[in-house]
Amino acid sequence: MRAALARFVVGQPLGAAGAVVVLALIAVAVLAPVLAPHGPKETGFATYVAPGREFPMGTDQVGRDVLSRVIWGARLSLYVGVVSVFFGVTLGALWGAMTGYVGGAADTASQRVVDCLMALPPIILALSLMAALGQSVNNVILALVILLTPTAARTIRSVALGVAATPFIEAAEAAGASRARVVFRHLVPNCMASYIVLVTTNISYAIVVEASLSFIGAGAPPDEPSWGGMLAAGIQALETAPWMVFFPGLAISLAVFGLNLLGDSIRDLTDPRLRGGLG
Amino acid sequence: MTMSLSRLARHAALAAALLVTIGLSAAPAGAQEKPRPGGILNWFDYGDPGRLDVHAESPLVVQQATAGIYSGLLQYDPDEPSKIVADLAERWTVSTDGRSYTFHLRKNVKWHDGQPFSSADVKASFDRVLNPDFKSPKCGAALKPMVASVEAVDANTVEFKLKFAAAPFLPSIASAWCRVAAKHILAKYGDLNAPEAQVGTGPFKFKKYERGSVIEWEKNPAYFIPGLPYLDGVKQFILVGGPTQLAAAKASKIMLWDAWPPMRKTQADELGRQRTDVDIYQAPINTVFFIYLNAKKPPFDNPDMRRAVNLAIDRQELVAKALEGAGVPCAILDPKLVGDFALPLDEVAKAPGCRQPKEQDIAEAKKLVEKHYPSGLDVEVAVRQVGNYVDRGQLVIAQLRKIGIRGTMKTHESAAGYAAFGKGDFTIIATQDRAMDINEPSGVFHISYTTESGSNYGQYSDPKVDELTERALKESNRDKRKQAYWELQRYLLAKGDHASIAVAWVEGWFFKDKKLRNYKPGLTTYDNNTFMKVWIAQ
Repeated sequence: MRAALARFVVGQPLGAAGAVVVLALIAVAVLAPVLAPHGPKETGFATYVAPGREFPMGTDQVGRDVLSRVIWGARLSLYVGVVSVFFGVTLGALWGAMTGYVGGAADTASQRVVDCLMALPPIILALSLMAALGQSVNNVILALVILLTPTAARTIRSVALGVAATPFIEAAEAAGASRARVVFRHLVPNCMASYIVLVTTNISYAIVVEASLSFIGAGAPPDEPSWGGMLAAGIQALETAPWMVFFPGLAISLAVFGLNLLGDSIRDLTDPRLRGGLG
Repeated sequence: MTMSLSRLARHAALAAALLVTIGLSAAPAGAQEKPRPGGILNWFDYGDPGRLDVHAESPLVVQQATAGIYSGLLQYDPDEPSKIVADLAERWTVSTDGRSYTFHLRKNVKWHDGQPFSSADVKASFDRVLNPDFKSPKCGAALKPMVASVEAVDANTVEFKLKFAAAPFLPSIASAWCRVAAKHILAKYGDLNAPEAQVGTGPFKFKKYERGSVIEWEKNPAYFIPGLPYLDGVKQFILVGGPTQLAAAKASKIMLWDAWPPMRKTQADELGRQRTDVDIYQAPINTVFFIYLNAKKPPFDNPDMRRAVNLAIDRQELVAKALEGAGVPCAILDPKLVGDFALPLDEVAKAPGCRQPKEQDIAEAKKLVEKHYPSGLDVEVAVRQVGNYVDRGQLVIAQLRKIGIRGTMKTHESAAGYAAFGKGDFTIIATQDRAMDINEPSGVFHISYTTESGSNYGQYSDPKVDELTERALKESNRDKRKQAYWELQRYLLAKGDHASIAVAWVEGWFFKDKKLRNYKPGLTTYDNNTFMKVWIAQ
């Protein structure tokens, strides 16, 4: 384990840095109730207090501690990112794997559905979904699941088509395995590398989409500690209280940067064409 | 080097001209200045009006969009905003019993389309707003309790018969909402919503309305006061959101910030650092920050729950944070605006819901909530996405959480929010400013407290409030009227279960460009925005 870790750090220094950031993000999210000095919606403090000893990241326009909201925001961002990506990419992967294996008219029809969904600009689709569903964190997750599923379906389908043509799949079919058994015991496990890459790279995308929706007032309700929502409130007082923009902006940047670095290095490790190559 | 005499003379003349110019420009601004015709006043509207019918609508965006287009029978004097002066009526008389008002109309006034104005237009306009089947939340709501009938005596004379001698009648007739529309336009279009229906007798003609972008007026060359208006036109940019409005102000795209939403202190300070060519001032805007509870459905059909919210709301905190200290908390009437018709503020501060420290009110409120909902309850808290309503909503939610009411914010676009509120499609409205139409103690009660009031969103009815409001309205003796309003305020404060909760009278910061002359803010947000006597100095 230690040797593998050392090899990873030496071989993928940027990925290791990304992993450190991601682990820190996870730790902050999990330990939010302990780390945050105040509740994220507690308004009992003076407004626009500059960063100092009492409030290291200052307070906002309604007297909430910005540090506490940034910490609780990590929990919200990770919750939205992980849950939406898990369900979206998993659903998409199963969809793509099954229709790729089955082929024929079912595959053709399903890919046309994917084409339609992918033709819509993602943020417009997300906005429309939020307008229909209403503002809540869970509806943001639902909207993200709908955004992520078609891309995952397309990607995993292309991998599944290649796997389906391999001899061991033929052998399983010849041995009398049912379609379901072939898909779940043989096809899906051989798509896991691509699945893992999709998950790690899309978490940062999901975090950015959630922040963007909240920034324009269509995501999480305004009192939720969403980093994007905090940016929107901070813009209103940019000159007076720049810390309201700086700290949540920094949090988004660090989270996305760390996840992208980690995702890139996982992709490099799992894609044999890139392993040891020019990348 | 020598110089010819003629050249010397030329130099001397130039120097003299320069000295005169410097002397003139150093003269104090406004000193003996003659109004300068010309120029376009750039202004803003905080939202897209969508609908333009000044008789049927109540948002400021609508009134502001068409303010300069129409005239009323009377108006508030642009030079002295507390005085009521002639407009379409050049003079008026009152019967000795105070129940009949006769308005003598100006002659030779033309509508913007060239048609002649007459008493038939006045009768058509007021018959419309007074029609019991016509919902007129501003002019109609104010006049219906008072006016029995309107008759055109002859082509230039109109008579209003009142149900009783009513002190608020003239201020209501002069209100910016009681504008006179053309009979032929009402007949042609059915209402005043279309841009094409914006045909008035005002100092400006309606030129353009680009949805979401701009509203433009142009000078009416046939305006019935010769020489006016001075301006060539007015441009109202539709600027949604505080940052957009402030950015426009800082970039000198607008010359005036005069109504709603007012700037907050932080915004005023930012503007002051950026621009030295503006005058920034703080002023009340005759507007009340209300919270509304839906009294027609659970949980606020229960008076205990309404009382709990009334107790829990920390008005002082809302003024300190949401209004940055610019407001008068708790008062149902503001002494700064209506003088001694308002209860003294030290008496108001002792009322349940207004007491500080807040612990006693919160403890009582919690008990009321626990009596009916031992584990607390979840409610949807509605706000329109205008001004800083979303911030106010978050503060209200935080305050309600202390008594076991867990709020989830539901935001609405401005017009959609009004539509929802009008239909009763809400549980709590966390914040909704209601501007007074007239600077008169009766105003706030006819807007939010009586059963028939125009903004009784909670659909709450208290016969005693209706009775006390009507008694005060009909009282002609000033001292007795004052006592009636005191009794009404004390009743509302003590009972504490009305569905309309007055949080504070709103004040704020505004600015005007130093080049703007003869602009004086009205006593309400709706008045003195016709700009008929405003001009722009060079």
